[in-house]
Amino acid sequence: MLPIILLSVFGIVLLFMGFLKSKVLLLPATLVFILAALATTFMDWGKTYLYFQNMLLTNNLAILFTTIVLLSAFMVVALSNSFIEDEQAQPAEYYALLLFSLVGAIMMISFENLIMLFVGVEILSVAMYVLAGSDKHSPRSNEAALKYFLMGAFATGIMLFGIALLYGATGTFVVSGIKSYVYTNAYGVSLLLYMGIILLLIGMLFKVSAAPFHFWTPDVYDGTPGLFTAFMSTVVKTAGFAALFRVLSVSFVGVYSFWWGTLAALTCLTLLIGNVTAVYQTSFKRMMAYSSISHAGYLLIGLTALGTQTKQALVFYSLAYSLATISAFGVLLVVSRQRQDTNGVNENFDAFNGLARQNPLLGFVMAVSMLSLAGIPLTAGFWGKFMIFTTAADKGIYWILVFAVLMSTVGIYYYFRVIIAMYFREGAAEPVKVAPFYRYVLIAATILTLVLGLAPGLLEGLV
Amino acid sequence: MKPIEIVFYVLTGITLLSAITVVTARNPIHSVLALIATFFCLSGHYILMNAQFLAAVNIIVYAGAIMVLFLFTIMFLNLRREDEESKTNLTKMAAVVVGGILMVTMLLVFRAVQLPAVNEGNFDARTGLVEQLGIMLYSDYLLPFELASVLLLVAMVGAVMLGKREAGDRHF
Amino acid sequence: MILSLLIFLPLIGALVVALLPDNQHIPFKWLTLGVAMAELLLSVVAYTQFDQQQAGYQLLEQADWITLPLGNLGVVSIDYLLGVDGISLPLVVLSSVILLIGVLSSWTIENRQKAYFSLYLLLSGTIMGCFVALDFFLFFLFFEFMLLPMYFLIGLWGGPRREYASIKFFLYTLLGSVLILLVMIGLYLSVMDPVSTAVMAGLATDAASVDQDLIRLVQAQLADMHISSSQIVHTFDLRYMADGGNYLPNAFLSGAGETTFWGIPARMIAFWAVFLGFAIKLPIVPLHTWLPDAHVEAPTPVSVVLAGVLLKIGGYGFIRIAWGLFPDGGAQYAQTLAGLGVLSIVYGGLNALAQNDLKKMIAYSSVSHMGFVLLGVASLTSEGINGAIYQMVSHGVLSAMLFLIVGVIYDRTHDRRIDSYRGLLQVMPHYAVLTAVAFFGSLGLPGFSGFVGELFTLMGGFQSLWLPGWLPSVAVSGIVLAAAYLLWSLQRMFFGPLWTRDGVESTLTDLNGRERLMLIPLGLLALLLGLLPNVLFNLSNATVAQWLEKFNV
Repeated sequence: MLPIILLSVFGIVLLFMGFLKSKVLLLPATLVFILAALATTFMDWGKTYLYFQNMLLTNNLAILFTTIVLLSAFMVVALSNSFIEDEQAQPAEYYALLLFSLVGAIMMISFENLIMLFVGVEILSVAMYVLAGSDKHSPRSNEAALKYFLMGAFATGIMLFGIALLYGATGTFVVSGIKSYVYTNAYGVSLLLYMGIILLLIGMLFKVSAAPFHFWTPDVYDGTPGLFTAFMSTVVKTAGFAALFRVLSVSFVGVYSFWWGTLAALTCLTLLIGNVTAVYQTSFKRMMAYSSISHAGYLLIGLTALGTQTKQALVFYSLAYSLATISAFGVLLVVSRQRQDTNGVNENFDAFNGLARQNPLLGFVMAVSMLSLAGIPLTAGFWGKFMIFTTAADKGIYWILVFAVLMSTVGIYYYFRVIIAMYFREGAAEPVKVAPFYRYVLIAATILTLVLGLAPGLLEGLV
Repeated sequence: MKPIEIVFYVLTGITLLSAITVVTARNPIHSVLALIATFFCLSGHYILMNAQFLAAVNIIVYAGAIMVLFLFTIMFLNLRREDEESKTNLTKMAAVVVGGILMVTMLLVFRAVQLPAVNEGNFDARTGLVEQLGIMLYSDYLLPFELASVLLLVAMVGAVMLGKREAGDRHF
Repeated sequence: MILSLLIFLPLIGALVVALLPDNQHIPFKWLTLGVAMAELLLSVVAYTQFDQQQAGYQLLEQADWITLPLGNLGVVSIDYLLGVDGISLPLVVLSSVILLIGVLSSWTIENRQKAYFSLYLLLSGTIMGCFVALDFFLFFLFFEFMLLPMYFLIGLWGGPRREYASIKFFLYTLLGSVLILLVMIGLYLSVMDPVSTAVMAGLATDAASVDQDLIRLVQAQLADMHISSSQIVHTFDLRYMADGGNYLPNAFLSGAGETTFWGIPARMIAFWAVFLGFAIKLPIVPLHTWLPDAHVEAPTPVSVVLAGVLLKIGGYGFIRIAWGLFPDGGAQYAQTLAGLGVLSIVYGGLNALAQNDLKKMIAYSSVSHMGFVLLGVASLTSEGINGAIYQMVSHGVLSAMLFLIVGVIYDRTHDRRIDSYRGLLQVMPHYAVLTAVAFFGSLGLPGFSGFVGELFTLMGGFQSLWLPGWLPSVAVSGIVLAAAYLLWSLQRMFFGPLWTRDGVESTLTDLNGRERLMLIPLGLLALLLGLLPNVLFNLSNATVAQWLEKFNV
């Protein structure tokens, strides 16, 4: 509860700070604000609170998801240093929008009332629509914003319809209220409930870019300025999955048999489309877009095989995925900026040629991030996949497991293209310049990835 | 058939017709006008459901403010018919199939569902009136109501940010 | 302690090398050489401490490593559990020898020494880890992590098509290891740790007081479903996984085979999955296509390690995991499996015969020789298994030697085609002698190690109750083929008047000291193993006898 209030206030404070002549304070202030929100998040640790007439429910799981989201946001903002300078745009507004979008993300994570979910999704999405189009002079960015906006608005409309139908079926917006409705009418739930579930799922799956609702993802991720793509692919995804988990594991667990088959089919489709299409990309950023689709697929496995350890798997996977994604985008941002080709920033694989020789650190950060995304042992990503796969094995859904494992082999191929480019190819002679603070953030993310890979038990017992 | 049912069906018919016109009209101006008609009909439905405040707000905000803006924008942009991007037949087919399946599913669901009827004996006639709505908004739903202001703020900041003139920009 | 040192000495070495500044004056190669010699010393110490009469695991080391609560599934506890027996110890010693030779062979690496030796040490550590890990998960981690240094070693220091070869190597082996991963998760869900379960079920006060009788009691209670699922402690321990009594009744991979897919018991599918995983590594036809590519592109020392050690992990996996954990699968499909082995022998031999690239020929001869390993294992006889282990060691020594021999000529002329040379005997007599030793050893001349390995696997094949007699008979043709391609190339390259295709006779100098230092010990080792096969058989026999008890039905 407190982080929501704080972040809303901080956002407004940042807007006012935008009036100041000097822009130096903005970045540190934003970082401090996020840290403050993170600190207050932990005040509720170990307890379960309901706020404002069943509007919000905070528990350890919600706190962990909030932590992941805030941590990702912190790193993205910390990486924004050089970016904001040469965009000569309005940094105060960017930061304010980021903070506001975090309000939406936290609402999605800890909602107890579907109204809160809806408002949260809207806040997050609207901020993202704007940030997607923040590079006003780039047609690709404009296209991304418009595409994201139109499709996103449509998806939220469908989701709202679903919520309305759920209300019609159960007479309540409260997540646990729907649960008790399902349990008291175990043998004759209203068909409206099923319809509501489907529509709600469509809306949410759109937000996490699961197939077949993924069509916006490549264009939007590609067109959006890299920094905000990193934000989008971590914060939005984590919050979306936290929301999906809450609604599926609390409200609809009683009708598991109704939705699991559909979800399983969508999971496989997502994995297939994400992984296979990623192979054919020439742009690193587009590859990351498809890879984010495929990771949505892995996370969906956890939901399909909903069980007691799903939440742990989701938390771990989201954390591993966020860390790796942010360091990958962090490297991409500096490299693409400093190794431009005729079309401006070069976001293709060949921008990374020979990077490891000129910048061993950047090469290593990128390599660890790719290995983690690919799920190679001793990185956090391996344990994430391992936990997700054990949920499926526990539930006895072996065919999905086999499919996912095959798809993760496909994943190796395109993640290794970056490593090949960095280590095996000859590239530009002059090294890429990296600011010290920027470097620390990347190192921190890499170390976290490796530490979680060596000792995944660190998160033990938190969930 | 009770008189109120007749009103309902007439209203629904006009709503559907005008909504279809929004989508099918070739001329964007016609589309917008049909959309305004749709909003009016929806307000009629609100009144039928005893939600006068919502009906009024719907007309003022949507039919009034937003649609006028819409009209303005369309006239400014001077859209012409040939600018329309043509969709391939495959896309159309897919859209028809998917939309059709969704519609059939919904129709079947709505046919099968028996919603509880309103108990006229203890129905509170004030439900849906502005007073009740206000009490709800400022008690049970205070938090989402307040947070909706963040949403509006975000939209506003975004609009300003994207619309603001910058060095080198030329508008009109 | 010794086994931990075996793993961690190179790993620490890798770290040290990686952290040292990249400076021309730092003798990375000497540092690596020192580590490799220490490794050899350690493995010799391990060999002397090993009691050859005993069958079980020795030099055990155990510590808790990762505990990860997984809700319903209880706690994933991955132990740091090391130990060797008569199957793994020969391979450990072999690895330390080959890795030492590999360092010597790396002496000519000039380009990016720091990265090279760091990766080389990393590879050494993970290889050792693979052979001594007794926890399936630990094994898997080493098994999969080993790919990375190998990938970079081929990809960075390899030939012109190195990118293709390295990613192909990586994808093939990774596909195998994900199959193993799947089975590993399934096994984990199906197997209990009898010691901890006894403690959990209140049958014992602590783990130390659990003895064999109590374990049998726990297993009996498990079979009668007297132990509730919350009290069952799952495990990755290979020792427990190998004991059929520890399998949960009705579990996914339990012995009775209740779970079936398309009418095939899950256990059989699991067996085939692990088999494929290791068959890719070994490699078995038709999963071998990565091997010639990898060998042709890899630099000489990497080829040496790849052929000498890495392939053996496939064979080791067969004995320890595929057959060791699924004896029913090995027994049921013995004919098919042996058939695949024979196919590898013949197909590899025929391919080798058709090659003009010396390195490719040796790569295919590896495929052929490793087919004997599969044949020996599939025969399920004492001779066969002992022969398979013997063949692995022998092939490790000989193939390392063969690849070094290719390296010698390639270093001088950058040409590996067999028909580019004639009459090398005249300018390189020592080289010719050592080549002849390696070739004769490889083709199974009595007195050399190759003969013993092939003889015993074939004897196993003929004696086996599971195999028809024609299978090993066909396999014998592999020896004939080996004689054909080896002798033919020997004759073409070394005899006759001196001639080279590009007229580079002047660059052909005889072996230098370093090359002799690599080749002569290997040649002597091949001779020693051929003359005194008991050195090895004494080591493996007791373990193999115990291992075979599973198949006495």
